[in-house]
Amino acid sequence: MYELRKVDKHFPGVHALKEIDFKVNRGEIVGLVGENGAGKSTLMKVIYGSYQPDGGTITIDDKAVRFQNPRQAMEHGIGMVFQEQSLITNLTVMENIFLGYEQQFVNFGVIDWKAMAEAARHQLKKVKLDIDPSMTTSQLSFAQRQLVELAKVLTLEERIDGDLVILLDEPTSVLAKEEVELLFQLVRDLTKRASFIFVSHRMDEVLELSDRIYVMKDGEVVDVVEQKDAEVDAIQHKMVGREVDKEYYREQKQKPYDAEQVLVTFDSVSLGNRYKDISFELHPGEVLCLVGTEGSGREAILRTVYGLDAPTSGSVSIKGEQVSRFTAKSGVARGVGYTPRERKVEGIVAGMNVYENMTLSQMDNYSSAGVLNISEEKSLARTWIEKLAIKTPDVYKDCGGLSGGNQQKVVLAKWRSGGSDIILLDHPTRGLDIGAKEDVYEMVREMSDAGVGIVLVADTLEEAIGLSHTIIVIKDGEFQKRFDCTPGDKPSLYDLVHHMI
Amino acid sequence: MDVERIKPYFPWITLLALVVAVGIVNPSFFDPLGLLSLVTDVVPLFIMALGMTFAIYIGGIDLSAQQLANLVTVIATVYLSQFGIGVAVICICTGAIIGAISGFVTSRLYVPSFVSTLAMGFVALSAAKYLSGQRALSMDATQRDDSFGWMFGNTAGVPHELVIALILLALAWFLQTRTTFGRALKAVGSGELAAVASGLNVDRVKMMAFAISGGFAGIAGLMFSVKLSGGDANLANGFLLLAIVAVLVGGTPLTGGVGGVVNTAIGTLIVMVIRAAMVYLEVDATQQQMVFGIVLIIAIALTIDRSKLRGVVK
Repeated sequence: MYELRKVDKHFPGVHALKEIDFKVNRGEIVGLVGENGAGKSTLMKVIYGSYQPDGGTITIDDKAVRFQNPRQAMEHGIGMVFQEQSLITNLTVMENIFLGYEQQFVNFGVIDWKAMAEAARHQLKKVKLDIDPSMTTSQLSFAQRQLVELAKVLTLEERIDGDLVILLDEPTSVLAKEEVELLFQLVRDLTKRASFIFVSHRMDEVLELSDRIYVMKDGEVVDVVEQKDAEVDAIQHKMVGREVDKEYYREQKQKPYDAEQVLVTFDSVSLGNRYKDISFELHPGEVLCLVGTEGSGREAILRTVYGLDAPTSGSVSIKGEQVSRFTAKSGVARGVGYTPRERKVEGIVAGMNVYENMTLSQMDNYSSAGVLNISEEKSLARTWIEKLAIKTPDVYKDCGGLSGGNQQKVVLAKWRSGGSDIILLDHPTRGLDIGAKEDVYEMVREMSDAGVGIVLVADTLEEAIGLSHTIIVIKDGEFQKRFDCTPGDKPSLYDLVHHMI
Repeated sequence: MDVERIKPYFPWITLLALVVAVGIVNPSFFDPLGLLSLVTDVVPLFIMALGMTFAIYIGGIDLSAQQLANLVTVIATVYLSQFGIGVAVICICTGAIIGAISGFVTSRLYVPSFVSTLAMGFVALSAAKYLSGQRALSMDATQRDDSFGWMFGNTAGVPHELVIALILLALAWFLQTRTTFGRALKAVGSGELAAVASGLNVDRVKMMAFAISGGFAGIAGLMFSVKLSGGDANLANGFLLLAIVAVLVGGTPLTGGVGGVVNTAIGTLIVMVIRAAMVYLEVDATQQQMVFGIVLIIAIALTIDRSKLRGVVK
């Protein structure tokens, strides 16, 4: 009933969706899997009306539709349960459920709260949640909020004619095992009311729940498998499009690090409730990977090394000197370079060109008495454009217009050219296509060869295992376990997950 | 896409179109002497707008500029007899210090610049009222000519005021395009988070931007005071709106990061032409601010970078 035919979507420098055919039948649960950057989220945004496709058609019951915004999509029965929850936490549950649709309870300009509570209770019953609708949302657990969100989407049932399609975007990422089971049971029960599109990176869950699974890679649907034919290995293979092997992460190029020297020492360092009692050493040529779930404190540790966040206790030494002043400026002066996760916001400055971005952290090297030597800046940029094969027409190109991979290269060039020998990489491959990822892996190995110490927060566990010399697992801000990752003797996914959750 | 490409040239096109339009309606507009005097008249406004550009370029705004100029007219008048030409230093420093305080409040205390500068503006206004005893003061003519007479002379037909404006423009342009400070300003205006993550001292950059804005407002106030040979707490009233309009119609959006001081020069000329047109069309002086208010809104709507607003405007 709901169908996409040859849907295309372009962004500057990226062909995000390539002639996608996608179909949801009545009462069906459709799985959608793919690596980060495969186009899952773009596809979802097209489905719920946040993006408009450049080409192709969307049909509901064979009638072509076009959504200008999510509200129009909702009026056609498409609802979205957001990954980062979209409830407003200081409103009550019922206010959230009927946000934007309060008119039905209004008499003479006044909201009939009793009627709204009654209607909310009816919705909550659908998701089997027995709570008082007048509770403030912030009092609920994450699992409960997820259900409220689902209940909110289910109000569409009364509001529109026709069938419902509900998107679930990584609904299990914040749930405990039993809560996941309950959610799945509920979704199965709800298939008599709606169809579902289930997006998750947890392959086993997708396999368990979905009737059919779409596999995406590089903006294309590379396969559609029925549940009965689905195998984790085969799907994973299609998702990645190659063997996830040693070659991919350049394991053969991983050389032992210099254990004699120390670049960074953390000695029982804590920062409020972000992380507690963390100790490690980073050596030249080492890739140290911090592994943990979202919010486990990995980013905060990176930010402390860089100097953005001062620790509340413990001591941090960089190159043998204890750090007393925590500012980004002094971090840069100590030779630390930071490649933030939000590449477009924190990594590059959109609106500034290639050379301006590359020298931003080291303007003192390209100026005398505060006056810039722009021709030297340009020649630096040309050198690094060649060295890292950055695809840009010239040094005057606005970095905001470069592709993600090339933006990342500009950020790395900024630090490398400034002589940073401690590089912090926060999700360096997030949103990059495969080729660009491999470029980043190549650069990581080159930096290690050059004696740079790298602290990495990887995008996937495979990446963490593949790239690192050392893995430190962190859970809720606390150290769990340290793994040595000598090539040929790397820990498995299971070893890590076991300590993460 | 094409609109985006020609967007940087909008101010030039607007200026040219306005000049042609006004010239057709009123050919005497092209009289060189008349034009020269029009341009010269707008110099104090231009200087204030030039400073304002720095505040807006980093994505802030300086609402204190007019009150700073008011305060400076009083200071200049009161202390001229005591310090002679040295009063210029006091004037500029007053502006710069008050600007720096606004910058400190904005960057360290996280008070948005429109509030911090508005508040500091009232502080300046109040100081001006206190210092002047709420009276209109006037300068001693001899002292004024001894110290600042050179400001209003002519060399080979070029008014010195204009020369000062051009020197300040060149200085501001150099600061913006050729120095590490200018680059830092651009980084803060275009992507503050990335500037922080690159280790720039963003707080200091902001403070300096507001200090420069204040310093230029001080120069504008001083010129105004010398020109009118006096000072009072309301002398520069009406300048603020025009200065902001000049920056924005010049093509430096409220969101910062693009445009700059040369744009402000164009913007000031646009303001000048609009003002001349209104005089010619006999628009009443009381109605002129109405026109500029509307022009300001149009300019903001046309130039603002909506992608930086993230959908939230309050």
